[in-house]
Amino acid sequence: MIIDLKNINKTYPGAVPLHVLKDINLQIDRGELVSIMGASGSGKSTLLNIIGILDNYDSGEYWLDGLLIRNLSENRAAELRNRMIGFVFQSFNLINYKTALENVALPLYYQGVSRKKRNRMAMEQLERMGIADRATHLPSEMSGGQKQRVAIARAIITNPSIILADEPTGALDSKTSKEVMEVFRQLNAEGRTIVIVTHDPGVGAQTNRIIRISDGRIIP
Amino acid sequence: MFDLLREIAQSLSNNKLRTALTGFAVAWGIFMLIILLGMSKGVVNSFMENVSASTSSNLNIWPGMTTKPYRGLKDGRRIKFKQEDPREVTKENPSNVRETYASKVLDSATISTNLDYVNESVYGHVPEELKRSELKMIAGRFLQQPDLDNKRKVIVLHYKNAQTLFGSIDKALGGHVKMLGLSWQVIGVYNHDWEQGSYIPFTTAMAFQGQDGTVSQLNVELKNVETMDDAEKVEADVRESLSHIHQFDPEDRGAVHIWNQFEGYLRGLQGMTILNIAVWIIGLFTMLTGIVGVSNIMFVSVRERTHEIGVRRAIGAKPRSILLQIVLESVVITTIFGYIGIVLGTFVTSLIGRFTEGMDFVNNPTVDLSTAFQVMVVLIVAGALAGVFPAIKATKVKPVEALRDE
Repeated sequence: MIIDLKNINKTYPGAVPLHVLKDINLQIDRGELVSIMGASGSGKSTLLNIIGILDNYDSGEYWLDGLLIRNLSENRAAELRNRMIGFVFQSFNLINYKTALENVALPLYYQGVSRKKRNRMAMEQLERMGIADRATHLPSEMSGGQKQRVAIARAIITNPSIILADEPTGALDSKTSKEVMEVFRQLNAEGRTIVIVTHDPGVGAQTNRIIRISDGRIIP
Repeated sequence: MFDLLREIAQSLSNNKLRTALTGFAVAWGIFMLIILLGMSKGVVNSFMENVSASTSSNLNIWPGMTTKPYRGLKDGRRIKFKQEDPREVTKENPSNVRETYASKVLDSATISTNLDYVNESVYGHVPEELKRSELKMIAGRFLQQPDLDNKRKVIVLHYKNAQTLFGSIDKALGGHVKMLGLSWQVIGVYNHDWEQGSYIPFTTAMAFQGQDGTVSQLNVELKNVETMDDAEKVEADVRESLSHIHQFDPEDRGAVHIWNQFEGYLRGLQGMTILNIAVWIIGLFTMLTGIVGVSNIMFVSVRERTHEIGVRRAIGAKPRSILLQIVLESVVITTIFGYIGIVLGTFVTSLIGRFTEGMDFVNNPTVDLSTAFQVMVVLIVAGALAGVFPAIKATKVKPVEALRDE
């Protein structure tokens, strides 16, 4: 079991505190391709952020690959994210003044990999994604599908065991969505655990398991 | 490290105009600092050239009029220095007075040749005067002891007077002038910034106008005087000695007038130190404007890049590496543009130096290497300070919040 959430609760404080996650119990095995579906505001993105160690939870236990994720220092969290998790976002989140190659290589920069080596590795990933010819282009010079491929290349360059995708097809047309989903299926076939947050039933249908979340609770 | 610099270069060149405008403020601040430092250096150079501790170890004393009654003597009494006074003053203050000698100032006299004439002050002096007044001999020699011993009728002229009287300095040397109805041989020609009088042997001058034994001025050469306290003490001691000799109240400031050159020298030194400090303060405050500008722009930059920082954090950037990047960006901006400011400032001060060559108030107004180094250190520190607060703000960016604002 690579992801194990036990009785996770999360409340956003405020004038009217918002209890977004209520007693979440979720287990995901290594190599699964899972989608988390729910309406907007259902808490699915918060759940993804907690799984990705981008956010904290209030109570419960989160075990990531046998490691209890709780009250980690920012440095430790950054290190775990860098090595274990690859992120793919709806709006790609590429750095706009960096070329495709530099964007893909960035996680390796934070690992202290030499420039030459990380550029070579980034190029390999771009080749895999079939967009090697776009290596020196800026994000603004690429189509949505190309940008998402660059983002996926960036997510897998550190060879993480988990890929977390937040509405990865939300900004893409149906044809490109299909292609991107095909990429995810391939990555899954290589043994990677993939968790996709979506509200698109078509996307959910292409995964092996659908977890439905509503009003902060997982629907059994 | 090289990688980090590449990252910084990339993010700085991402917004060239903003970087350039920020940089200009820094460059301008440093430029002004260098100009100010250069000018103050020029003033200090000029001061140090004109005076030194050794040439300033002097008291010049003129007689005055008593302003207080003393031991039955009324006030308003004119003090007259005698030829014996120097010996007494030296004897009574053995620890701080090396030697004392007198000089005689004649009323200004007409000096003439068959070519032209001049009207100048005439001083009867001793050979030591050459060093004390820092006269620069251009031709011939200054007064020497045999001239005094034999009461020779010899004269030393300022070069301008020599030119007027003889047409050229060469012709003046060995020539004769008429003064006070007698013929005088010119033995030397000197130059000095402001003194233009003519010098004759002290003994000869006394023979003319000192039959009553009064002398015009006492010059006291000091020794073992180093601090302001020393200078004040020796002045008081000498005043006291003179008060014994001439019977006046030692507290009577009007009886003799003492010009304490060493005190003046020390005050000058103090003034130079204050000038230097003042210039640094003004310069640093000028620079501060630029630094605040950098800090401001870094805040804007951090705010603009919140999202980017969030992305970097999500893919594994530690807060430390974000902090380092922002601080170094700030340091790089200030250092590069500061360096430009230093170069331009140095160039302009050297131009000023060329234009003011030969002027009295500044001399060689350049910034030396150590000053440039100090400025460089100030720059790097200032750049780091300017960057540190925006950088701390940047590290507070939570990746999840940064990713949310889309």
